[in-house]
Amino acid sequence: GGHYPSLPLGYQNAAPPLTQTLVPVPLSQPLGGPGPAQLSPSLAAMSLQSSTPEALRVVNLLQERNLLPPIPIPPPTPCLQQDLQKINCNPEVFRSTLTSIPQTQSLLNKAKMPLGLLLHPFKDLSQLPVVTSSTIVRCRSCRTYINPFVSFLDQRRWKCNLCYRVNDVPEEFMYNPVSRSYGEPHKRPEVQNATIEFIAPSEYMLRPPQPAVYLFHSSTCVFCQSLLDNIKLPGDSRTKIGFVTFDSTIHFYNLQEGLSQPQMLIVSDIDDIFLPTPDSLLVNLNECKELVQDLLKSLPTLFQKTMETQSALGSALQAAYKLLLPTGGRMSVFQTQLPNLGVGALQSREDPNQRASAKDVQHLSPATDFYKKLALDCSGQQVAVDLFLLSSQYCDLASLGCISRYSAGSVYYYPSYHHQHNPAQVECFQRDLKRYLTRKIGFEAVMRIRCSKGMSIHTFHGNFFVRSTDLLSLPNVNPDAGFAVQMSIEENLDDMQIVSFQAALLYTSSKGERRIRVHTLCLPVVNSLSDIFAGADVQAITGLLACMAVDRSATASLSDARDAMTNAAIDSLASYRQSVLSIQQPGLLAPACLRLFPLFILALLKQKAFRTGTSTRLDDRLFAMCQLKYQPLVYSMLMIHPALYRVDDLSDEGALNINERTVPQPRVLQLSVEKLSREAAFLMDAGTVMYLWVGRSCQPAFLTQVLGVSSYAAVPDNLHLLPELDTAESQRTRAFIGWLRDQRPFFPPLHVIRWVSFLGFIRSNMIEDRTESALSYYEFLLHLQQQISK
Amino acid sequence: MTSLTMIARVTDGLPLAASVQEDEKSGRDLQHYQSQAKQLCRKLDAQSPERCTLEAGDMSFHYLIAQDVCYLFLCEASFAKRSAFAYLEDLRGEFNGRYGRRVAAVTRPYSFIEFDTYIQKTKKSFVDRRAPRNFGSINTELQDVQRIMVANIEEVLQRGESLSALDTKASNLTSLSKKYRSDAKYLNTRSTYAKVAAVSVFLITLIIYVRFWWL
Repeated sequence: GGHYPSLPLGYQNAAPPLTQTLVPVPLSQPLGGPGPAQLSPSLAAMSLQSSTPEALRVVNLLQERNLLPPIPIPPPTPCLQQDLQKINCNPEVFRSTLTSIPQTQSLLNKAKMPLGLLLHPFKDLSQLPVVTSSTIVRCRSCRTYINPFVSFLDQRRWKCNLCYRVNDVPEEFMYNPVSRSYGEPHKRPEVQNATIEFIAPSEYMLRPPQPAVYLFHSSTCVFCQSLLDNIKLPGDSRTKIGFVTFDSTIHFYNLQEGLSQPQMLIVSDIDDIFLPTPDSLLVNLNECKELVQDLLKSLPTLFQKTMETQSALGSALQAAYKLLLPTGGRMSVFQTQLPNLGVGALQSREDPNQRASAKDVQHLSPATDFYKKLALDCSGQQVAVDLFLLSSQYCDLASLGCISRYSAGSVYYYPSYHHQHNPAQVECFQRDLKRYLTRKIGFEAVMRIRCSKGMSIHTFHGNFFVRSTDLLSLPNVNPDAGFAVQMSIEENLDDMQIVSFQAALLYTSSKGERRIRVHTLCLPVVNSLSDIFAGADVQAITGLLACMAVDRSATASLSDARDAMTNAAIDSLASYRQSVLSIQQPGLLAPACLRLFPLFILALLKQKAFRTGTSTRLDDRLFAMCQLKYQPLVYSMLMIHPALYRVDDLSDEGALNINERTVPQPRVLQLSVEKLSREAAFLMDAGTVMYLWVGRSCQPAFLTQVLGVSSYAAVPDNLHLLPELDTAESQRTRAFIGWLRDQRPFFPPLHVIRWVSFLGFIRSNMIEDRTESALSYYEFLLHLQQQISK
Repeated sequence: MTSLTMIARVTDGLPLAASVQEDEKSGRDLQHYQSQAKQLCRKLDAQSPERCTLEAGDMSFHYLIAQDVCYLFLCEASFAKRSAFAYLEDLRGEFNGRYGRRVAAVTRPYSFIEFDTYIQKTKKSFVDRRAPRNFGSINTELQDVQRIMVANIEEVLQRGESLSALDTKASNLTSLSKKYRSDAKYLNTRSTYAKVAAVSVFLITLIIYVRFWWL
């Protein structure tokens, strides 16, 4: 009937003190309470304090060497009642550094761990419920969307879980279209799913939905073949396309329907840019497809003739901006050298002799604010700029990168790109470009992240522009972008047992539909330090610290950032030792959930972005910094701490059976030379790239059956494709690599490396070993222990 | 030229297609006009005139209703009305042919946004090119002036109605207050008379008393 059962304990905000064990209350109500169903008494008896003992098991890092679990580390589960946790947001989409939120700011300060959220809001999801409703139910005061963690006071009123205001349930919401029943608003999909997408009514649009507009802006023709192959860009019949090329002058292409061939219009006045014709530079893709294809086929020959070495990138960007101004859209910039002419010209700031300097690294901030200003203008007109840098020379990525950073674009970097001498990079570029051209895209988007009363967000990380205190302006949103935010606790969360966070992304799809994607995360509040430590998510903490360190390197200095990261490890372990450990033992003690923290910090210190003393090109370093801030957490972690597997002895033991393919599951190994052996072959998965290292004395069976060569000497230098042989070993190896690749939307290329390249490989990737400029893992642990005991 | 074209369903004002063209040089902010356009589409119903031009400052809204769909065009007031309606007629024909059957069933706003391509092409031929047919058609223009009712957009958005209601109330108030004033004067005079009468009665009584008692 219409009678509503009394709320389970998780929902009542008049809470018993958290330190008490919850008394099992016989809950005798009919099925269908608000959200979670009946709680079994044993679950109700689960105290929020008794977190899994495994997470708090004391580990002496100096004694236990094999800390890495054999499989990739799963994200920790928040310590919530099972029914709430079942519908909680997927951690791949929304993740917190601390899965148990401290009750007060002073408690958080004592724990000495950063509090923040890592999001991947536009991730490609296999299952996404979509709701078309004339009314979108939102809280009247804080505008939160209704979500699975609200409480229904009775059939007609609901209480917001972020600001606790009581709202009315609108009449239309009482009807459930899925089950075709009336009177059960809590069964509607909006209240059953933590991730949901709404079709937005016309109040959510400032202007009619824009069409998909793509502008290709280049001083080179590398993209032409890929674009010809993938000419069906995401969009509908309104999709527009345009091209601008440049060297010391700017070239526009008139592609008006009816012309027999594309017409090139050259503007040489780069100081006062104007558009040569008002229309026909951006044309409808469907109607002018042949002209576009003709142009793409003739561009390479056009570029071959030029011998120019000057690049007026700044003026060309201004021209392209003028072109995209009326509608908004996406600009893809392909650049092969330092821009040296006109506005925005840059100097070569890098000193090659300082690459291996152990002191501070200079020139990490932009040289000019031209690109940032242009990016902000673009952002205001819903234009996003993606940058592809294909150059072996210094291109001042610190300055150029700003054009993407503030306009929600992405940066791609291919040092030593050469179409003849470096086929591996060429293949990598082509694959990335294919993904870039075909992936889902959202236009004229904004995102807002809300959190429960008492908490506030103070810093944002990622590529976007922050408009007003918490509104992120994203002219383009794509499925490969990640974001992070840092939070603080403004008021004590005394009476709250749970807090919620909601991220709402409003965007226009490439087919002109305005949609809102909403993710809601719910976490428990705790008031003891041991609970906070038990709920720590070591990967999320590492990811957030990496973002913070990138910011610190730009505002202060690189050595400051390095010290800050080391101090994060020292402070958190010291806090654990002082406040949580009951028995003081010698050694470096850490809770099991944080046992990998020093390893990850060391990995960060040895990462290209932050390392000193090893020769690192400035652009490489800056690109690594961009990636740490931009990538979603799971790929950042692979970049920071790659996964190493032995692949010459793959067996079917413990293999997974996916789609009738047997995928072997080798153990994850530590990144140390002692795990490597010349008699074996190893695969290292670094997220965006994979390396297959073949030892000198590797068993011949592997060479013949997987690589298809007769001996070690016959392994070719630039091999990046495993031959498809009919042997069991070849099938297993390819199944395993294919399985790793299938888990991510982009295609990491594979490099097969022989002994000759071993030394460089080791130095940059074997994190646990000592190098001339950095400590080994054991030495780092000793250093930490020394600092903690002070 | 700055212009806005909008096609919406009359029954509930749901936008079906739209096209916006902002002229950089004019610097006009179309935001305000867009929200007026949306409001207008919601206000229209089966009783509204089929063709109408609404003035809004130095811009004009021209609209045409046919088969439960409203075709709305905002442009500068100086633009010839005849061309505006010819343009809307053209849009109507094409839109009805392509999507007429599906209009009643859609729920999502801007379901037919792809019509934008056709709108832009048609706009070019009617609006942006100074077609010779615009000249030498004064007669027909005069006829159009007679046929098409011109009204003020504020009126339609019912600010006019409330203004006239206010006006009536204000004039009511004036007449009522005049009446009150005369009533008050009348009462005042009556009370003065009453006072005078009382005083005189008292004096007469006094005189009679003095006269008969003392003498």
